[in-house]
Amino acid sequence: MAQSGKGKLNYRCPSCFMRDLDLDMFYDKEKKEYYCIRCQYRGSEADVLEKNQMARFRYGAMMRRFEEKDFEDFSEG
Amino acid sequence: MDKFVVNIIHRPEMVPEYAEKVTGHGQAEDIGRKALLTESLDIFKTQQECAHKNGLKTTIEMTYASLFNDEAVALAKEHHEKYGDEIALTLLGLPCKEFREKYKTKDFCIWMFSMEDKMAIVQDVFEKFYEKFGFYPESTGSYYMDAELTNYIKEKYPSVKCAVATCWEEGPKAYHTCNNSWYTFMDGGPWAPWIPSKQNTHAPAANEAEDSGIVAIPHLSRDLIACYDGNGSNFGTHPQNVLRGMIYDSDTWEYPYLYNLIDQYRYQAKFNDGYSYNMMFVGPGWMNKMGRWEAPYELLLKSYEDGCAYYGKLKKEGKLIDMTMSEFADYYRQKKSYTEPECALWRDILYGSQKQVFWYCDPYLRAGVNMDQGGAIVDLRPYVAKLNWPVGIGTPHIQDASYPFLIQEKYRAGYFTHYAGEGTVRSAKICHNGEEVDLCLCRTKAHFSEKVISGEGAVAAGSVSGACADEAGSDFGACAVNGGFISEESAAGSGAAKKAVKNRILTLDPVDIEFSDLTVKLQTVMTFIEGTGKIRIDRKVLSITPNGAGTSAETGADMDCAAADITINEYMVGCYGTTEYTEDMSSLTLFLEKGEEKTEIPYEYKCREASMEGADSATCIVPPIDTVVSMTCEGRDKAGYIKEGYAFSPMFTIGYTGKLCEKEVFTTWLNLEKAN
Repeated sequence: MAQSGKGKLNYRCPSCFMRDLDLDMFYDKEKKEYYCIRCQYRGSEADVLEKNQMARFRYGAMMRRFEEKDFEDFSEG
Repeated sequence: MDKFVVNIIHRPEMVPEYAEKVTGHGQAEDIGRKALLTESLDIFKTQQECAHKNGLKTTIEMTYASLFNDEAVALAKEHHEKYGDEIALTLLGLPCKEFREKYKTKDFCIWMFSMEDKMAIVQDVFEKFYEKFGFYPESTGSYYMDAELTNYIKEKYPSVKCAVATCWEEGPKAYHTCNNSWYTFMDGGPWAPWIPSKQNTHAPAANEAEDSGIVAIPHLSRDLIACYDGNGSNFGTHPQNVLRGMIYDSDTWEYPYLYNLIDQYRYQAKFNDGYSYNMMFVGPGWMNKMGRWEAPYELLLKSYEDGCAYYGKLKKEGKLIDMTMSEFADYYRQKKSYTEPECALWRDILYGSQKQVFWYCDPYLRAGVNMDQGGAIVDLRPYVAKLNWPVGIGTPHIQDASYPFLIQEKYRAGYFTHYAGEGTVRSAKICHNGEEVDLCLCRTKAHFSEKVISGEGAVAAGSVSGACADEAGSDFGACAVNGGFISEESAAGSGAAKKAVKNRILTLDPVDIEFSDLTVKLQTVMTFIEGTGKIRIDRKVLSITPNGAGTSAETGADMDCAAADITINEYMVGCYGTTEYTEDMSSLTLFLEKGEEKTEIPYEYKCREASMEGADSATCIVPPIDTVVSMTCEGRDKAGYIKEGYAFSPMFTIGYTGKLCEKEVFTTWLNLEKAN
């Protein structure tokens, strides 16, 4: 088995990202998968992208554009 | 008109942080690789172009490495002539072949070197700069500039008047996020520009004698909620930081959060005498052609272009003024007095939580107030101590530049602890008939106001009594210093002389405290008293209502005060430290005083408590951080108390209990002083 390297993009481990850890993953060409050297996550590029999307769950207002009047107005519920 | 100032800073970093690790993966380290140098300079040119095409001037902070590159030097001169960019000098970007050969080390953070090396490097870099440009720079910086370093630079190169000097709340959290490999421990500083004291960079100067001679700016303008809890490098006015946090739509590449962040900073002018500030400083490594993590180069570039375009749009609309760092230093000294605080009323703009916090920073203290916890103080730094805290090799704190806390709700718990013990927080409990409700569980919102202090009823700065002479309940929070105006020696610049001293007042929306048989409507008002290191907290009972009945105002019946028997317990749980891990509390001493009477508990982890009817003060001396923290009180049936803590709960508690009736106010002061 040859050594692992970086993939075409330098994906971070989505599982570690969700616990505020930025861990670069390495790519196993034979298994066509990224894997984390800190935790037990491994997955294809598609799985990484899906999990990255999942990690955004906490950003409930990520796409909201606030206006000046909103900074002290909490009436939106 | 409000003034929103932006500093845009670029550095030609010939060996960018990250780039060698990323682009060089699979190759032996070679920081002199031509491809790396060429790419670095290309990125710098791109960044400059992004700013200039949007009509924005920049500060070019030359790195040591770039001073060996004729093209970088020529570019800086050209852009200074053509666009009015300032040519400055950063102490970031030290790594290069020449530096490594000369200093025989891979260290690159200026504050971590020995003082001897700091002086040698500063002289080397500044003289090299002079050799290339024929003048000494007016602006410099690093991620952190320790006081000893700044003092040396100012003495040797008095032309320096501005420096990038800290990253807000970059400490253990950043270290953890970087897999425990990023050694920038610099929590506890200001989030907005300030004048550092000669004694400690993070603690602002209180007067001319303490003035280090520079205006400091933070490295980036950071989200005042998100950065306190999470990785600071995800939530700042660094467009690629927003990408690092994955705060964008992965399909459309839109990131409204970046603009919300800028706009909420603009909004802070409302709380800071019409002035607000932003800083954008992106190292070339963040615009690597290989992409950065999951973001391809195209997205990295787009985000930087968009960031510059937004600042440019604000400028065109007359809502922003772009300045170089040295221009800003001059402006700031005209604008601010020494004792004038920086205030921020900040809401969550990312998570959708509706949380709101207030941050206050002056030469005597920094405090964080969490409205989602009833206005509890959840972070407290005693700047009044002006702690002598040298950092770098050969000092007791080689890497740890953080200003110590007395309260830090994330590192030492806050209201919530597991199983046993207490966390650090300044809050109050309302008690009735054996039931107890902590205000930390009463979510509310705050409103900011200011009150110019009149000469009448003034108290001298530094008084421990805390007895500001106003009528409790009639008008919360009037307390004065020096007759209401700062003196010439307290003015940071000539333009700031005779600036009125004001109280900053935080009025919280009333909360309902429901007991089994009655409901208490209570309002909190917090007053930050300029130039004193004191925070006054008033709790006023607006009404007491028997459950199932109307309010006393509605029914016309007075609530029987004795029958209601409402007790208040104002408390502060504290400790000291700079990290999550506890320090040795053995040198602390707690005491209560009333006239000549004194009860003392030397800290021995024995879980002892003491109380004193009518106590004048409840105090803890914290020798490791040269700090005395005390509470004083004006309230009915007041009794001061102290609690020692134990090994599983290595905290101290100071507080007051007392009684409250309808329309009555219970007032306490939190006082910070330098020990000895």
